[in-house]
Amino acid sequence: MSKLTIADVSKIFSTTVAVDTFSLDVADGELVCLLGPSGSGKSTLLRMIGGFETPSSGSIRIDDEEVIHLPPEKRPTGMVFQSHALWTHMNVFQNLAFGLKLRRRPKAEIKERVEAVLDLVGLKGYGSRMTTQLSGGQQQRVALARSLVLEPKILLLDEPFASLDQHLRERLREEVRDIQQRLKITTLFVTHGQDEALALADRIVVMRDGRVEQVARPDMVYREPATPFVAGFIGTMNLIDGTVANGTFSRASFSVPLPVADGPATLAIRPEALSLTAGGQGIIHRVTDYGTHGLVDIDLPDGTRIKSMISDAKAFAAGQSVDLKPTAISAYRDNAVIYRTR
Amino acid sequence: MTTRPPSGRAQSRGLIGLLLVAVPVGLFAWMTVWPIISGLVQAFTPTQPNGTRPFSPANFVEFFSDPYSLSNLGVTLWTCLVTLGLLLVICIPLALYLRFAQGRLAAYVQTMAMFPMFVPSIILAFAFIRVLGPNGTVDLLLNAVGLPKIRSPYLTPWGPVIGLVWDNIPLTVLILVSGLGAVSNQAVEAARDVGARPLTLFWYIVLPRIWTSVAVVISFTMLGLFSAFTLPYVLGPASPEMMGPFMQRTFGDLRDPEMALTQATVTMLFCIAFGIFYVRAVARNRGK
Ligand SMILES: Nc1ncnc2c1ncn2[C@@H]1O[C@H](COP(=O)(O)OP(=O)(O)OP(=O)(O)O)[C@@H](O)[C@H]1O
Ligand SMILES: [Mg+2]
Repeated sequence: MSKLTIADVSKIFSTTVAVDTFSLDVADGELVCLLGPSGSGKSTLLRMIGGFETPSSGSIRIDDEEVIHLPPEKRPTGMVFQSHALWTHMNVFQNLAFGLKLRRRPKAEIKERVEAVLDLVGLKGYGSRMTTQLSGGQQQRVALARSLVLEPKILLLDEPFASLDQHLRERLREEVRDIQQRLKITTLFVTHGQDEALALADRIVVMRDGRVEQVARPDMVYREPATPFVAGFIGTMNLIDGTVANGTFSRASFSVPLPVADGPATLAIRPEALSLTAGGQGIIHRVTDYGTHGLVDIDLPDGTRIKSMISDAKAFAAGQSVDLKPTAISAYRDNAVIYRTR
Repeated sequence: MTTRPPSGRAQSRGLIGLLLVAVPVGLFAWMTVWPIISGLVQAFTPTQPNGTRPFSPANFVEFFSDPYSLSNLGVTLWTCLVTLGLLLVICIPLALYLRFAQGRLAAYVQTMAMFPMFVPSIILAFAFIRVLGPNGTVDLLLNAVGLPKIRSPYLTPWGPVIGLVWDNIPLTVLILVSGLGAVSNQAVEAARDVGARPLTLFWYIVLPRIWTSVAVVISFTMLGLFSAFTLPYVLGPASPEMMGPFMQRTFGDLRDPEMALTQATVTMLFCIAFGIFYVRAVARNRGK
């Protein structure tokens, strides 16, 4: 029903460039996660879509209609904030009904819609509670319900579960996913937790310093990161700087065949794509046993530390010397991919 | 579980605590409670020609049947209400601005709003006369461009109102801004997000959160205004006069301490009413 088009949007706060010529198309019913380190401009972008910040330049269209000049109260967007956004002098029902009352809906309809959405977020019967009598998780459900009850065209969530504990966060993000799929609502979800993005998103936008670093499906972001930054940001990744000469990448005593032109390169190897054999230049610093698998820290002679994942943690021990055999690698030069094993 | 008898050390510490409390409580009793009781007793036991002092409400009957006293009480209440109204009308927007605006201008406005706090009332009164009084700065400026003089508020009931409003702006703004601190940015933005325009936002989201502060402002300013002296004395009309100057004149010039005490008692009753209003507002807030 609703698509979102962001074109060349920038936001400059006096001296900081918070968002830098950002473009993105979000399809109808799609859930896109904005992922990036702190200060990468995720909130600023979301707030510009919601109308709380005015872009310095660019255009934001919802269903091909320019919304940049509309104040938040006139935009068809619903925003869920990280915390402290409920109106504490009202009970849950009043919090949800407020927006509908402003739209002068009849009393019966308000009651019906509020109760339906309370049911949707799993808070049936909580209408008469004061918001201060709710747990953190329940409060965020109310905040979500308050946006949903108005049936916004675009749902914006800015780290809505960041203040909750891990377990609750996982449960709520699954609920959000379920609700989003049921309502088919176009959603933008800000997070700086990569697991959250991987679990939720149809597509992930990795941001860095206000710019798009990569836009891709979650599995693609993980398997084929477009830049060393994305490679290092999503999951654990060994990033090794070195040089290529005559089709061989080398760093200290570590070398791998790499069929690219001579020059500097950054090698990216997932721990699970690096197998170990006894005897070699690497010295095992530590072995961590996770039960299902083991994680081995290896020091190269020049001090570079590399991680390898092995299926049996008992097979190696600290102090042992090992040889490293990558099974899948990517290589980057000038912030772009130059090689990837099939 | 074992219970130990209180040791000598704990007992002596309790004694020291008691002594520490006793000093302010004693001072309070001596300087506040005793004068109130003694004043009430004197006001209710008027001296008869034969020198006896039987209990009688005669002083109060006299106060409430004297048109002049009543008009003084009336002008005091009028001044209080008008001043309070103006204060709220001026200070609520100012406080909202200071709470939600950012940048250098807001900092300047804040300094300006706090400035009256550092100006003694008497200096304020003379500044008022020089600016708004007859042939004051405003008159001179108007005259320079060929306009007629203003009708100066000096020595009319509006004189004290203007002075008192100016004088009370800092405290009122401070109380309101601190109250607005309880309104989170997210709560305000969420309200705009669901469609609240500025006025709706103020009425349904902001105001309910700062009711306590408004109540505190109402009671504080009412208490302050009822006992205001300097500004009404210097800027106000000679008749009717506000309770402050009225009491002072009755006591000093007319040498009628009993009547002055009666006026003070009436004033105190109004103040107590606002005091109760204040306590209830604060208690209600605590209860939340
Ligand atoms: N109102 C503002 N005034 C000035 N600078 C701002 C303002 N808001 C954000 N910034 C700056 O813009 C940049 C991006 O901030 P933003 O809040 O969008 O980051 P974020 O990706 O949401 O970070 P986080 O994950 O910590 O929430 C930061 O450098 C921040 O300091
Ligand atoms: Mg943020």
